[in-house]
Amino acid sequence: MPTTFLRLTPEEVAARKRRNVWIALGLVAFIVLLFTTTFLRMMHNQKVAHEANAAMATSSPVNAQGRMSPPSTVSGQ
Amino acid sequence: MTKTAATTLTSTAQPEDFFQLLKPRVMSLVVFTGATGLAVAPGSMNPVVAAIAILCIAVGAGAAGALNMALEGETDALMRRTRGRPVAAGRVNKNDAMAFGCILSLFSVMLLGMNTNWLAAGLLALTIVYYAGFYTLMLKRRTPQNIVIGGAAGAFPPVIGWAAATGSAPWQAWLLFAIIFLWTPPHSWALALYSAGDYAKAGIPMMPVARGAKSTRLQILIYSLIFVPVAIAPGLVGMGGWIYLAVSILGGLGFLGLAFRLWRSKAGDSVGAEGPDKAEAVGREAALYDVKAQSKPARNLFAFSILYLMALFAALLVEHLSNLPTVSF
Repeated sequence: MPTTFLRLTPEEVAARKRRNVWIALGLVAFIVLLFTTTFLRMMHNQKVAHEANAAMATSSPVNAQGRMSPPSTVSGQ
Repeated sequence: MTKTAATTLTSTAQPEDFFQLLKPRVMSLVVFTGATGLAVAPGSMNPVVAAIAILCIAVGAGAAGALNMALEGETDALMRRTRGRPVAAGRVNKNDAMAFGCILSLFSVMLLGMNTNWLAAGLLALTIVYYAGFYTLMLKRRTPQNIVIGGAAGAFPPVIGWAAATGSAPWQAWLLFAIIFLWTPPHSWALALYSAGDYAKAGIPMMPVARGAKSTRLQILIYSLIFVPVAIAPGLVGMGGWIYLAVSILGGLGFLGLAFRLWRSKAGDSVGAEGPDKAEAVGREAALYDVKAQSKPARNLFAFSILYLMALFAALLVEHLSNLPTVSF
């Protein structure tokens, strides 16, 4: 059990309070950035997956509805 | 309570002092070159992702600056140019600056990796370790080539920007790296020529202190002769357009002219209270440019080098943001 305690001056208390406010703001900003990044990544991945599915559906002879796709009209490809 | 914890608790350090630890002026150059690398890279990028990537690069560079100040506090206190820095002046204690730098490094690298890709994050981590560990702890006090090798740390941001945009770092990105890398020696040594007294006092073997002013002036000229063609190269290999080509050639000729005049001058021959050495008398900013007549060629090259580098990257940025065509030969 400590018997002596540190007594802070009013300037030290005020400085500590200001630092704490800025640390809190920094942490909130970091969380917002992390959330934004995650959200944008998910959107991007979803878009890529949709494009891949669409490409597969058009290139495969049996399309998504189980019907045969028409043969390609471009020769030499 | 430990002594360190008590020191932290009784500190009167303000948030502004911590902001100064990030070296905001260096950070603004890093933002500029990093953003250029990102804009010049092929393909398009979500603007929010791009903005977060640039923020991460800036914070990572700032973190490296904080670690540098934490490690260099005692040396900084010996030089008039740097004795007002937060750690050197005793406003922020060394351990707090160290912790601040480490936490920001970790957060910026992690966020950049999650936001873009791990190549960009890895390059940012490498830059921080290179600057704070390799340059500050090992190179700076051991060799007059300190800023030649250490200059690589300042040259990484466009490569990081490029990697963030594309996930790769091709030779075009390294060409931007080479421009900053080769620009650093003439730029830093021109300043060192008229502030050698300060470096000598702190025991830092900058080129004018270790090899003398005459050798430094010659090396500035040699580096300038290598640097200017490399600065023009992006305009010849399809990375830049006519604006870039004009800026790089005209500015390059100006740069060579000033380097030649410096080589023929006697700048740095007498080490006195000049430039940053007299920061206390005339103010830190003014002291960089307020020099004796003998040192003016060095001062002119130092000032013009900043302008030239800014103009090169601004030209690239403007051309790519406005989709101007590149030059093809």
